[in-house]
Amino acid sequence: MKEKDGYTNAPEQQVILYVEKEDGNYGPMQTGSYITGNYLDDYKLKRGHLEESLRNKVINNEISPVSYYMILEDLTVSELASRAGIRKSIVKKHLDPAGFGQARVSTLKKYAGVFNIPVSALLQILMLRYNDHFESYTILEEKKLDKGIELTDTKNPYVTLVKIGDKLP
Amino acid sequence: MISVPYKHKMAAHCESGSITSLLNNAGLDITEPMVFGISSGLFFAYFHKMRSFTFPTFIVRNKPGQMRENFTKRTGVKFKTYSFSHPEKGFLVLDHLLDSNIPVAAQVDFYYMDYIPSWERVHINVHFIVVVGKDDSAYLVSDSYFPELVSLRVESLRKARFAGGNMSPKGFLFHPEFIPEEIDYETAIRKGIRKTCFNMLKIPIPFLGIKGIRMFAKKIVEWPALARDTEHLSHEVMKINVLLEDQGTGGAGFRFMFATFLQQAAAKINTPQLLDFSKKMMVIGDGWREFSLLAARFGKNRDLGPQRMKELSDLLMDRAKAEEQYFNELYKAIKEI
Repeated sequence: MKEKDGYTNAPEQQVILYVEKEDGNYGPMQTGSYITGNYLDDYKLKRGHLEESLRNKVINNEISPVSYYMILEDLTVSELASRAGIRKSIVKKHLDPAGFGQARVSTLKKYAGVFNIPVSALLQILMLRYNDHFESYTILEEKKLDKGIELTDTKNPYVTLVKIGDKLP
Repeated sequence: MISVPYKHKMAAHCESGSITSLLNNAGLDITEPMVFGISSGLFFAYFHKMRSFTFPTFIVRNKPGQMRENFTKRTGVKFKTYSFSHPEKGFLVLDHLLDSNIPVAAQVDFYYMDYIPSWERVHINVHFIVVVGKDDSAYLVSDSYFPELVSLRVESLRKARFAGGNMSPKGFLFHPEFIPEEIDYETAIRKGIRKTCFNMLKIPIPFLGIKGIRMFAKKIVEWPALARDTEHLSHEVMKINVLLEDQGTGGAGFRFMFATFLQQAAAKINTPQLLDFSKKMMVIGDGWREFSLLAARFGKNRDLGPQRMKELSDLLMDRAKAEEQYFNELYKAIKEI
């Protein structure tokens, strides 16, 4: 690949490509990621649709919040079980809303650790107004908007402090 | 606050990049393509069904950790390695190394690298970073995929080093321990090339090497039946582009980096015959890039009918044919040169 063909404008995700320089030598060039530079909006559109579809299933009690995050994070049952340190048969049980209701708080904490979310996020869906509609907290986070919301860990590993206001730092 | 003097540099790939960066900072003048080629980094494997993956996928490099091991065997450079059962011990050792002014590479789950944009982060336990400092709340990290040194929260590094799951890092650390005064590059380069050819041609397992590319070509037409819906299929097909161009390959699934290695090797050991192979590999890489850009376009346009999937399959068959001929010629030539 010639150096001129490797250029992509994507300052948010830089990569190193090996290319043919003008003098015929091959070497590295720093440029933007092709997929981020050209198709990031499409990724976010699909991600938004998937989140909405799964969220509706949680709201309608068709799947559990564990199932919601497992699918979003592209994990298999085996992988989630191994990462959380929970037996596969138990994870399968927790994917179902009825089984989820029997989970211990300490088990939910293990799932939350894998998903990198507060335990409270497994028990509530946080949506914020964005212009004329509501969007989930995670989508807003990706848009890097002034969210007016702040989540802070506390000394209690099961409790997250949530501050909501017009404009928080 | 501890900060080890360290020259940060982006690299194409996290493992070859962290090895190169550690060696450069320890005084050895070597490039990333040279580390990659000597350690036989280039590979191919297709996984149609695996417990760890929700959808078929492929890899374009050798097994994580093998680059370091092969490089050690072929150059005499030695790395000190550590694994841990307990996070407390893992962090005690890391802090002790930093206290001793030793920058150290750590194996981590990429998902917890919170300085990376969220859309890039996936659960994969074989990312490598170099830890070069710390303060009360964060570690200072040199990541080949990021343009500058970054802070990573202590809690994020703890989760990342001790994540469970497939290829769990177990707190793995390594740093150079011994660099010989003289390295026999001629032998190292020859062995690196021969093993790469062997891996691509001779392993008698149907999803590895050239056979793996052919299996990918045959199986990709079955992908629509495995997807939840059109958007899911679009996402998986566009991920082909991410795996070939984005996830630390230097473009075209490491083929451009291998071409660069051969060009540098030709000069290093005065073997001009390798220049021709270098140019041919660049052309093969261009074919892979054509395939990956087409996959991205089909995915974006949701143009994923049987005819389009067949087009992708045909392009993969072309890649398999080109690489089979190429590696047979290179295998023969490296024995005779």
